[in-house]
Amino acid sequence: MTQRHILIFIISLFINFTVNSQEKQDSIKTKVSYGIRVGVDISKPIISFLDSDRKGLELTGDIKVAENYYAAVELGYEDALKAEDYFNFTAKGSFVKIGINYNAYENWKGMNNEIYIGTRYAFSLFSQTLNSFTPNSKSTYFIADEITPNTEFNDLNAHWIEFLFGMKVETFKNLFLGAQFSIKKMLSTKEPENFKNLYIPGFNQVSLNNIGVGFNYTLSYNIPIISKYK
Amino acid sequence: MKKYFFLTLILALIFVISCEKDDICLENTTPNLVLKFYDINNDTLVKPVTSLTVWANELDTLYLNKSFDSIIIPLDFNLNKTNYKLVANNIADTIYFSYERKDIFISRSCGYKTIFENLEIDSISNNWIKGFNINNTIIDNDTTAHINIYH
Repeated sequence: MTQRHILIFIISLFINFTVNSQEKQDSIKTKVSYGIRVGVDISKPIISFLDSDRKGLELTGDIKVAENYYAAVELGYEDALKAEDYFNFTAKGSFVKIGINYNAYENWKGMNNEIYIGTRYAFSLFSQTLNSFTPNSKSTYFIADEITPNTEFNDLNAHWIEFLFGMKVETFKNLFLGAQFSIKKMLSTKEPENFKNLYIPGFNQVSLNNIGVGFNYTLSYNIPIISKYK
Repeated sequence: MKKYFFLTLILALIFVISCEKDDICLENTTPNLVLKFYDINNDTLVKPVTSLTVWANELDTLYLNKSFDSIIIPLDFNLNKTNYKLVANNIADTIYFSYERKDIFISRSCGYKTIFENLEIDSISNNWIKGFNINNTIIDNDTTAHINIYH
């Protein structure tokens, strides 16, 4: 009987020990740093390199405002030469996008990855230059000469909203790789006279139903401001 | 799981919307000049021309020995004038048209069209053509006759 009691005592000691050790593991605190995350769209320089008709730059920034919510901003510049069947034009200007991201991804402790959805309000100031055109005729009896008016339409603007989906992965400490896809819906534009805003910096190609699509591929760095154990 | 539903929905929408709809030019482009032939003795009676041959300036024949009650002829959009030779039953007449041009933007796929304004007939020979009347000095469509020719 006593031997049995001793055995139970020893076993319970072990159990007690293992439970204790688990509690200790749980209570290990992880360092969480909050700060401003700034980045650059690395797809734009690559596109500029491959296609000399397109030049652009986009900077991104976001900051955590609440659990899973991030205030985000994108600033950029674009200069694109576009050739259509009967004319070609250059759209040049800058844009700003302000909005919020909601992270739908539940991280393990110590991880900072994101799969998010978001929305933006965007505004662009730009100019369009009609480089050349050829009057279009279904008849081929007379062949139209190409006309190069180089007409510049300045002080144009556009407002639109974006709905987006993206992800960010922390590859090294505080260094993130991100990809983001967006659909855009035009709210209003200031149109040039006897021409149309067919490409808008930040919005990209404007389709007939005033909807656009876009993507960016960012490399961003989280500048730690506050670090605390959680 | 509900969260991922929205992600997939947005992604699916992007793919659907990416398809361009305005790739094909379906609108009316540069209009042509429409001439309609009437009887000189009764200016409301349409009188077809038998065996009509038409060409412009030094270009190839546009119509050859055909019977028409109206013809559609393009105007030269590189110049402000065009002349046409109309030969009916081996009798030739020349019409000298003058006009102003204006380029109007249509759409991405169609680009610009040229419309013609202040259409005038500078001179016309009267071998088989006995008279004319300009109904419309602005040519922005080719659905109605711009000029009536009496013979």
